[in-house]
Amino acid sequence: MLGLIARSIIHRPVRNGALILAFAFIAASLFSGHYLLAGASDSVKSEIAKLGADLIVVPANYTADSEAVLLRGEPSTFFFDDSVVPRIRNVSGVEQVEPQIFIASLTASCCSLPVQLIAIDPTQDFTIAPWLEQKREKPLGPDEIIVGSKIVAGGGTNLNFFGHSFIVAGKLDPTGTGLDTSIFLRTDDAYKMANDSKVNAVKPLVLPQGVASAVLVRVNDAAEATNVSYRIVDQVPGTRVLTSSALVTTVSDQLAGITRILDLSALVATLVSLPLIALISLMVANERRREIGVLRALGATRSLIFRLILGESVIIAAIGGIIGIGSSWIILVLFQSYISVVTRIPLSIPAPSSLISISILTFVVTVAVGGLAALYPAVRSALMEPYEAIRSGEL
Amino acid sequence: MIDARGLIKSYHDGEQEVRPLDGVDFHCDKGEFILIVGRSGSGKTTFLNVLGGLTRPTTGSVIIAGKDILALSDAECSALRSRTIGFVFQFPGLLSTLSARENVALSAEIAGITESKSASTGRALALLTRVGLKEKAGSPPSHLSGGELKRTAIARALMNSPSLILADEPTADLDVDTEREVMELFREINREGTTIIMVTHNIDLASYASRVVRMDKGKLVPVEPVP
Repeated sequence: MLGLIARSIIHRPVRNGALILAFAFIAASLFSGHYLLAGASDSVKSEIAKLGADLIVVPANYTADSEAVLLRGEPSTFFFDDSVVPRIRNVSGVEQVEPQIFIASLTASCCSLPVQLIAIDPTQDFTIAPWLEQKREKPLGPDEIIVGSKIVAGGGTNLNFFGHSFIVAGKLDPTGTGLDTSIFLRTDDAYKMANDSKVNAVKPLVLPQGVASAVLVRVNDAAEATNVSYRIVDQVPGTRVLTSSALVTTVSDQLAGITRILDLSALVATLVSLPLIALISLMVANERRREIGVLRALGATRSLIFRLILGESVIIAAIGGIIGIGSSWIILVLFQSYISVVTRIPLSIPAPSSLISISILTFVVTVAVGGLAALYPAVRSALMEPYEAIRSGEL
Repeated sequence: MIDARGLIKSYHDGEQEVRPLDGVDFHCDKGEFILIVGRSGSGKTTFLNVLGGLTRPTTGSVIIAGKDILALSDAECSALRSRTIGFVFQFPGLLSTLSARENVALSAEIAGITESKSASTGRALALLTRVGLKEKAGSPPSHLSGGELKRTAIARALMNSPSLILADEPTADLDVDTEREVMELFREINREGTTIIMVTHNIDLASYASRVVRMDKGKLVPVEPVP
């Protein structure tokens, strides 16, 4: 039966090619929307995980800037008084805190645009230290920096910021988030850099003593991260807490427009294609009436005729689905960085399990559309009296 | 072999009732070669299709090989068609997407005859050789002449070794020589024991048959025995 279906599909290359393209468009629209959502969501979760924090506390009036730094690596400089650090540490459920200072650089030799400098205190750090341990690197020394994966500078390279020279000690793995364009340095060196900038930099860096831009928080095992975040906001006024789920929501909201357009395209394509494909299937079934009659005379059951007509449409839809999923997958991977820049959304390749489920879901929906479109022609053909089919059809 | 009783087939054309079959009784023994002659529209093709279970009569009964085909389910009737009956139509009825050999082998595939692909291909090739088309086995129907198409259709009808062949105007549109070749083939098949019921408007073919009946206005009328 499969051979018969395959021959029939090949026999009408133009019409079936057009049908395959229609199904490919439906599949590509569906797949792309879900891929972008999963990619952005995974990217944000991976960033929070890489930072080793359960919560990130930022100044309430700089929430958008904080999200821009974390999600997109858009450089920004903002502070709040570091007196919040011990108060956050004292909140019930907090196990560990790490203050960080965000500084937007001037242009540097590594980069055509300003980058985000993140100053960390090695004595309290739980972001970079585990990574250095994992890579069997020594702790960050004076004037040493760790660069994000997209910073064009190898180990041992000298980079100059605000007139202060640093040596690249290591490079982070890609995350698909703002971390890829960030540079980590020691807080002490940040203050030295600020001091040097008064003499050496085109524009001096103003970095007051006793400030922080964000406080990374680890909660203890017994505590619920969400409850701790409520307590921090309640007990430490002027702060806002970012959680991975909140960041995912932010990204999802940003993506909503795009995914809505993609889902709408898939819906419109389905609504427009469904009757069109049904009509084409009906035309094909009508054209093949005599063939169906002959097959019935040769002993084909109604069920076989039903499966033949339905099978052809389902196989066409399946081919279209595979082409749509495959091509959009390739395009999304190849243009991932470009899409991330254009949409201003962090994007990584979704986890294999997400990719597989998105692909399966898209494939099933596309094939179901194919099956639905051919249902009426298949039933009609199967119920046709063989003699009537033979008399009225052409072969 | 076949026993049909009280067959009536009627339908309405507007207000008027049309009866292609108007009370047909018919009996056929195993091994007979029966020619049904009659004018166009006399009901002979409808009768042949009722015998083959391709259309249902309004009333009446058809017993083939001991089975009342009107009482059979679709699957049972399809199985009977595929294993007991071979059809040859006025038009070749070959699938344009398949080669001559594949068209012949298709009958076995549809019948669900469980044999290896090479065995069914071999049998299809043997049948095509028998009808003189060994060299054309790989050709698509569009590359075959009218006579070759007809002979391929006969080979396909023989694929599942049926005990009955129902042929509807199999020599229509053929030249005299090709017509003779096709009829000789039918005679040969009949002599091997296969019952043949053939519908034609050409009374000159009567010499090939063991019995000739005439269909006139939906009724069967006996014709003088063939000498």
